[in-house]
This record gives sequence, structure tokens and C-alpha cells, in this order.
Amino acid sequence: MNLPLAQIPLLLIALVAILMVGSTHLRLNIWLFSAQALLVTMATALSAVQHSDSHLYIIAALLFVLKVLAVPKFFMYIIEKVEVQRDTGTVVRAPVAMLLSIAFLWLSYILARQLPVPSGDTIGWPGATAAISLLCTGLLLMLTRRIALSQIIGFLVMENGIYIFGLTQTNGMPMFIEMGILLDVLAGVMLAGLIAFRIKKNFEHIDVTMLTELKENL
Amino acid sequence: MVILLELMAVPTILLLCAWLCKPTRILTKLSALLLWVQVAVVAIVVHPALLTNALPLVILPEITVERLDAMFAILTQVVVASSLTHAHVFFAHDDAHEPENHNKLRLFYTCATLFAIAMTSVFFCKNLGLIWISVEATTLCSAPLIYFHRNKHALEAAWKYLMICSVGIAFALLGTMFIFASSQYGAVAGGSLNLDQLTQSAPRLQYPLLRLGFLFCLLGYGTKAGIFPLHSWLPDAHSEAPAPASAMLSGGLLNCALFAIWRVSRLVTDSGHQQLVQNADLTMGVITVVAASLLLVRQHGIKRLFAYSSIENVGLMLAAIGVGSGSLFLFLAINHSAAKVALFLISGNVIQAVGTKSLHDIHGLLTVSPSWALVLLLGGFAVTGAPPFGAFAAEWQLLANISQLHLWPALVALLFALAISFLAVSVHVGRILCGTPKQMVTAFSPVYSSAIPVGLIIITLFAGLTAVHKFLW
Repeated sequence: MNLPLAQIPLLLIALVAILMVGSTHLRLNIWLFSAQALLVTMATALSAVQHSDSHLYIIAALLFVLKVLAVPKFFMYIIEKVEVQRDTGTVVRAPVAMLLSIAFLWLSYILARQLPVPSGDTIGWPGATAAISLLCTGLLLMLTRRIALSQIIGFLVMENGIYIFGLTQTNGMPMFIEMGILLDVLAGVMLAGLIAFRIKKNFEHIDVTMLTELKENL
Repeated sequence: MVILLELMAVPTILLLCAWLCKPTRILTKLSALLLWVQVAVVAIVVHPALLTNALPLVILPEITVERLDAMFAILTQVVVASSLTHAHVFFAHDDAHEPENHNKLRLFYTCATLFAIAMTSVFFCKNLGLIWISVEATTLCSAPLIYFHRNKHALEAAWKYLMICSVGIAFALLGTMFIFASSQYGAVAGGSLNLDQLTQSAPRLQYPLLRLGFLFCLLGYGTKAGIFPLHSWLPDAHSEAPAPASAMLSGGLLNCALFAIWRVSRLVTDSGHQQLVQNADLTMGVITVVAASLLLVRQHGIKRLFAYSSIENVGLMLAAIGVGSGSLFLFLAINHSAAKVALFLISGNVIQAVGTKSLHDIHGLLTVSPSWALVLLLGGFAVTGAPPFGAFAAEWQLLANISQLHLWPALVALLFALAISFLAVSVHVGRILCGTPKQMVTAFSPVYSSAIPVGLIIITLFAGLTAVHKFLW
């Protein structure tokens, strides 16, 4: 398999996601997320060079400023304020979850090969593999973690996966849509971060698995 | 462009008021007035689109108004105006107990105004990407509304709402990208999300990708609408939000999410795969109705009861979309929104007066406040589809459409579920009305406080009486 240069960041993104599932240190997870976002930015920039598409450069610049710098900075600020270091995870422990996510990567490869995308000028599978595996890994992070912040990171990993899908499997979404999506996602992350603060303030913890007061039979 | 300015004028004033008016007593009155002005403005602006054989009204290149969009937009504005007019009564009661909640109220009104703008734009956008952005914006604007009471329960509900809906909506984004991808191989040069372009070239869309896109959109927007296995955020959010916010969520937000499903379903139907829409939407709808009706039986909170009734109605609307009838979807939505907003607003009053949400402790409403009792009774009948109300005619028509398609299992399941939900809601409402009241404080005049709900019940009654004529004879 001789992959074009542009496809390498895509596969690295999927590998970084697996490392995120394996790490229980919040700080490390935020660094890994930042690294993942950097790889996403690189993939965007490479695609911009390849298609000589000017608006992809703007998207790449926005991604760099927002996802690589601003969001991790915001998360670091939150964990300093709420004083948590580790996220021990729920029933599914980190090593098991990591093995699961490796299995997901393999499954994604099979799925990506079957995806009904008519083959164009580029090789389609690395992008689709990365996208599907990021979706699964993000969901896995959201389901297996206790701390509110880890769930937000899981959501962002999912969103990266969807972005990668759009980047590699389509001719590029219209730019104003792309920007609107970015804006919405960031506003959502800000809001979720603020609510995480409140959870800490009200419950003295930010363990969302313990938010179980609202049940059917009160 | 001029139309956009006209539509945005009143909301802008409202936002300024919410920002500048420090004493909220003026703000609540002023916004009630301004919102009814906005209803009139929207109705006047979009009325050319309501005429038969009207051309779409163009606001901006990808934002146009057709007949169904115009009707939904007016409905949503009426829901918002009713809820926030009633909020004046509702928060006046809160005000007496907590003097320092002015900032909370200002935030509430700001978010409610933004929420209304986002909901309206879902109906007007003719671009799948813009629809996605609008739907996600409704989530973001309504999460602070749910967190209004600033207590642990509200926090839990808001967190669940934000997380579950965001993940759901993320799947809808993936679906949108699949649809975009399906259009770029031969249908539209370079691909498109513009619904007009997609509809024109619908038969040339790549079907496998379109099918994946449709299913992901159904899953994603369905989470937002509260279809059965994905509904878990809905009862919590509706129960913990203050009554005017619950009313807006139920009467406005659910319609928006369903409308997004309607758009995608229409596209798939136009591409010649009506069977897929029918199978997926109708099946999910029927499953939702059956599950919700069974869950309605054992309920312990008054607002949770009505929240499950909303899930049941969402199932009915989804079935109407599956049958492919836009007018039926609209008619169900009008009746559900009117009756459910009335019920949520009145149950807010009841909760304030009794001081609990638990159905075990709310009894004897008939002796305490006959006007509230009457609204609850009629509203309960209206949402479950009892004869004189609009929902009856709508459900009748839905069942008739389904039997025309010879889908007997769906028909039987729906009949069974509708009967159960009617009994369940009637029994629960009956228990609220009868019996001896535990100490009930009537903190504010019941006649004044039931004006808006009574008006809404009359709307659905009127819709029922005129429609019975149309549907049955």
C-alpha cells in the first residue's frame, strides 16, 4: 500500500483517538485532543493544497485558532477550577475500552471499504475509516467516562470524525455552512463547559454518572 | 432583504429590552405585548405564501417561504407569544418569593427570543446545512431555559438535554453530509445542499448514500423530537423547566425537529423511494406511539405525564410524515401545540399553588379552582384525541390514510395505543380534579391566569369543529 502523503494525517487522527480512550489523565487527554485537532488542520491544509481551494485555507486557519488553541485552553482552565486530575471511567476500564476502540478501527476499515462511494481521483478509504472510527471512539469516550469534561471531549472527537467525513468524502461543503457548524459546535462546548462548572458547584463533584435523581418513579 | 428586516425588527427590540430593562416587571409586560405584535408581523409578512398557487416568498437566496413553512412559522410564533404572555403571570408569583431573580428573568427572556428566531429559521431555510445549524441553535438557546431554576434537578435535566441532543444532532450532521455526497455524482455539479436544486435533480441522487443520509437524519432529528428509544431527555427537560419553557419546548421545538425530518423525507420521496420513507417513518412513529402510551400509564409527575403525551403525539406526527401528508402533519401539530401549551401553562400554575409536582399530592382541583380544572379536563381530552377537538379529526384522518395503504398491523397498534393513552390521561387528570384537596394556596386570581390556556383550547376546538366537517362529510 503506497498511500499519498495527504492520507497519513487521517490515519494518525484515528490512532490519537485510540490513545485518548486509553488515557485516564484529563490533562493528557486535552493535549491529545489538541494534537488531534492539529492533525485535522493539517489534513485540511493538505487538501487545500491538493485542490488549490482557497476557502479550505480559511477553514484550516479557523480550526487551528479555535480547536487547537482556544478549546484546549478553555478545558485547561476548567480542570484547574474544578480541581480534577483523573477520570477513572465507569464499568468499562480504560484498557478494555482501548482494545474495543482498536476493534472499532478494524471494523471501520471494513465498513469504509463497503461504503457506496464511487471511486474518484483519490483513495477514499483512509478518510472514511478515520471518520467512522472517530465517531465510534467518541461515543465510546462519552459512554465510558464519568467526568463531565471527558464527555465534552468525546463529543468533540465525534464531531472531528464527522468533519473528516465531510472533508474527504465530499467535494467540500459550502463554506458558510462549514463556518456555521463550527460556530454552533463551539457555542455548545462553551455552554456545556459552563454547565460543568455548575455541576461542580451544586454537587461538589463533576461525575455525571451520579446524576440520577430524575427517574421515572420519583 | 426588506422582509428579513421586518421579521427581525421586533425580536431585536425584545433583545434590547431584555438587556436594558433592569426592573423585570416592565419587561414581562412589554415582551408579552411585543410578541403578539410579532405574531401579527409574521402573519402579515408571510400571508402571500398562504394563498393557493402562490409562488414561494423569497427572503434571501436560500431562505424562502412556502405555504407549509408559513403555517408552521405562525403556529410557532403563537406558541411563543402565548407562553411568554402567560409567563408574566407565572413569574409574578415567583417574584414575590425570590426578590433577586431579575437577572435570571432577563436571561430567560433573551434566550426565549433567540429560541424563537432559531425555530422560525428552521421552517424558512431551504438548505439542509442551514436547517442543521438552526436546529442546533435551538438546542443551545433552550438549554438555559431548562436551567432556569438553578437547582440540582434543573442542572441534571439541562446537562442530559444538551448532551443527548448534541450527540443526536451530530448524527443528523453526518446524515446531511451523506445527502451532500449523494448529490455530487451526476445530480448537481459539485454537490449541493440547496433543497430546490436537490429536489429538481432528485431521481439522479445516488440512492445508497441518500438512504444512509435519510436514516442518519431520522435518527438525529428524531432524538431531538423524542422518538421512542431516544426520548430519555424529554420528560426530564419538560418536567424541570419552568412552565412557559416547557410549553415552548413541547409546542415549538418538537415541531421544528419533525419539520427537519419532513424536509428530508420529502426529498427521498421525490427521488422515487417513497417506500423507504413509509417504512422508516411510519414504523418509528407507530413504535413511539405504542411505547409512549404504555409509559403514560404509570406516571408520578404532572408535567412528566404531559411530556409523555407529547412523545405520543410526536409519534403520530411522524406517522403522518411517513404517510406523506404535509397537511395532516400540520393539522396534528396545530392541535397538539395548542392543547399541550395550554396544559403545560396550567400545570405550571397548579404546581405553584400546590407546591409539588407529584401526582400523588395534587387532588381536588375542581373545588379549589374550577377554571383551572376545566382547562385541564378539556386539554386532557384535546391531546388524547377525544371527539369534538381537532386531534380527533386529525387522528381519524391518519388512521384512514393508513388503512388506505393496507398497513393493518400499524393500524391495529395505533388504535390500541390511542385507546390506552386516552384512558391513562383521563384517569390521571380525573384524579387531579376529584378528591379532597390538601392545603392549596390560591396565590393569584385563577380567572386571569387561565385566559391564555382557555384561548388555546378554543383554537383546537374550533379546528376540530371545522375539520370534522371537512374530513368526515
